[in-house]
Amino acid sequence: MKNKLKFVVGSIVIVLAVILLAVQGLQEDSSISYSKSVSEVLILGDRAKSLTLKVNGELKKGSIKRNNMDLDFVITEGKSELNVHYIGRDPIPDTFNNDMDAEVIVSGRLADNGIFKAERIQAKCASKYEADYSSSEI
Amino acid sequence: MADLGNILLFFLFPISVFTALSALAAGMTKRRGLLEAARRGAYAAFGVTTLAILALEYLLITSDFSIEYVASNTNLALPMFYKIVALWAGHNGSLLLWTWIITIFIAIVAFQNRHKNSDMMPYVLFTMAITMIFFSVLSIFISNPFDTLYQEFGNKLQEFTVPDGHGLNPLLQHPAMIIHPPILFIGYVGAVVPFAFAIAALITGKLGTGWIRTTRRWALTTWGFLGVGIVLGGKWAYVELGWGGYWSWDPVENASLLPWLTATAYLHSVMIQERKGMLKIWNMTLVISTYLLSIFGTFLTRSGIVSSVHAFSNSGLGPAFAVFLTLSTILSVALLLYRRKDLQPDEELQSLVSRESGFLFNNLLFLLATIAVLWGTLFPVISEIFTGDQITVGPPWFNNIMIPIGLALLLLTGVGPLLAWRYTSVETLKRSFGWPILGSIVLVAILIGAGIYDGWALGSFAISFFVIWTIIVEFINGSRVRSKNSGEGFLKALYMLSRKNTRRYGGYIIHAGIVIMFVGFTGNAFNSETRAEVGEGDIFELGPYTFKAQRIIHTETENYAAETLDLEIIKNSKTIAIIHPEKRYYFASEQPSTEVDIYSTLRSDIYAVLSGMSNDGERVIVQVYRNPFVNMVWIGSIILIFGTLFAMLPNLRGQKSKNSIPVNSTKGAIA
Repeated sequence: MKNKLKFVVGSIVIVLAVILLAVQGLQEDSSISYSKSVSEVLILGDRAKSLTLKVNGELKKGSIKRNNMDLDFVITEGKSELNVHYIGRDPIPDTFNNDMDAEVIVSGRLADNGIFKAERIQAKCASKYEADYSSSEI
Repeated sequence: MADLGNILLFFLFPISVFTALSALAAGMTKRRGLLEAARRGAYAAFGVTTLAILALEYLLITSDFSIEYVASNTNLALPMFYKIVALWAGHNGSLLLWTWIITIFIAIVAFQNRHKNSDMMPYVLFTMAITMIFFSVLSIFISNPFDTLYQEFGNKLQEFTVPDGHGLNPLLQHPAMIIHPPILFIGYVGAVVPFAFAIAALITGKLGTGWIRTTRRWALTTWGFLGVGIVLGGKWAYVELGWGGYWSWDPVENASLLPWLTATAYLHSVMIQERKGMLKIWNMTLVISTYLLSIFGTFLTRSGIVSSVHAFSNSGLGPAFAVFLTLSTILSVALLLYRRKDLQPDEELQSLVSRESGFLFNNLLFLLATIAVLWGTLFPVISEIFTGDQITVGPPWFNNIMIPIGLALLLLTGVGPLLAWRYTSVETLKRSFGWPILGSIVLVAILIGAGIYDGWALGSFAISFFVIWTIIVEFINGSRVRSKNSGEGFLKALYMLSRKNTRRYGGYIIHAGIVIMFVGFTGNAFNSETRAEVGEGDIFELGPYTFKAQRIIHTETENYAAETLDLEIIKNSKTIAIIHPEKRYYFASEQPSTEVDIYSTLRSDIYAVLSGMSNDGERVIVQVYRNPFVNMVWIGSIILIFGTLFAMLPNLRGQKSKNSIPVNSTKGAIA
């Protein structure tokens, strides 16, 4: 019985350690982000500036402006618009370009000037029949 | 042909129902004739689904664009090879492939057990047939690959044909894509076999180790396929997605990892049950969880409840999966509770420092890893329910938990197999671990001297070194002893030793593969990258490397147009390689595609991505990553496959095998 007790105590220590890591991870800004749509971000206003956000919207056709390595574009939802400036390092996705209807998710933060500084861009294209990546990694 | 395919596929539903009902009746009445009927049902299910697959292949190969699936996933100019593999390029086709694999497995199980396990087989076939019914319903009624294209004309729906198809997603036009989904599917679907036997054992009350022995190879095989599928998925993401990494804790990646974690835990804890009669309920729980997580993984990737780079489209299967998962969970748990009294352990844990407790801690860590990954993956859903905000947890959160758990498991990989069953003395511990620990300390000192200060990386390298040492010592000592007793030469003794206990030594080989993969993972701590906009002749640097953009070339093929950069890699004023990152534009799908190029050595990968063109087309933006040790991940996984195959070999039998495995020494068999 003593041995069982030792094992139980050891287990509890391990479980507590993992819970601690999980909770601690949630406190870190870089590891959590709030998913919002463009209009939700605009409604949040100043509060949005304190959060790491994942904003989804439609890429406004023709809004992509490249200047050397800078990239600016606009995402929309209905009549709401959000200006995005890309500051990330990863290459932008292939489905992201001026000619295509693309649904976009940008991850980053809203700056004081109201421009969204995106560190990551995910794009999915609205293809003719079906845009299906699902089978690629099930 | 589409009609024929549809009819064939439609037959699967009544056949599956027939199989399930006759199997159930066979179980209740114990009549052999009914079991025979269920078995024939299983063969028939395999037959019609195979023919349906062939019909779909025919449509794909002949480019019948009246079929929505064919038009969505292929085009005329697509090479024949990709037309064939487009079978699993889209949601509907891959679901049919999935269904087909179930029918293959049920047919194999029915055939393998035609003369044995006749008490359990009715419920085994019943359980598998239920899963088959579910997937046949999805394939036939919700996501039918034989659906035709149609348009509304007034009030009428009218079929139509397009002149050319939409083309195969460029991301999928890659060799790893050809094998990766089917391999992963085999791993996922394979979980149903041990599950079916576990359920049959619970129903019939035959709770001994019979069902475990019968499904050992199945468990190991599907575990192997799942692992290989995950690694190939990583490889595909690495060479195809162009963000410089192979794992990002994406929900779809997590979905494949979850059943692998529980299956790994099961492969370990099952040894305690075979040896000590402990953990019976727990093993049942793991087998059931692995099955449920496999179904859950499919659900996650096809329901659209979480967004992922791999799975965007909402296929409308969500509710059906949710119902099936809930019912399966409730029934399995109810059965387990019903039999809980018959699943009491034969022995109690005797010492904290013993093989048993090593396994218990191993299982605890795998369980925590599973819960952590599941929690993190579902966090957007959970947080929305409780706070109204959809909150996503990113890679840092997963790494924060999974790196410590991973390293603890890695440490157990080295320690566990050397602990004796029941109790290990301090003397034995010193003898087994003294030198390896000392060696690891020396290694850490050397690494710090070489300028490596990352704590996790140092810990990981030290543990890896320790584990590899203990594994090598196990092989060497065992062979020496054998060589002395039998008079065989060392190599012969090494071979005979391993072949006489393939499960144990195969296990060691698998562990060695895992260690090497961990060295590869640890390389991530030292990744570096740079980005540059360059014209022909321009130069930039990353670490000790200098890069020179030699030429920018434009080419066109029938399938796509491409811009290619010839990028020279220079180190110490010497050219070591020229790589060719490329940007393609596919005509049929109207999609651009990034083709990365990698200069790969054992020490590091130089990974180049052409991420864009300047407006005048004279200059390109190129992103270069330097990723140390990535190759270790692939090499480790190949060793892992070898170890898995080795563990499945039957043991060589000889006169000595009876007494050659002392039970209570440190050399006790893993088995």
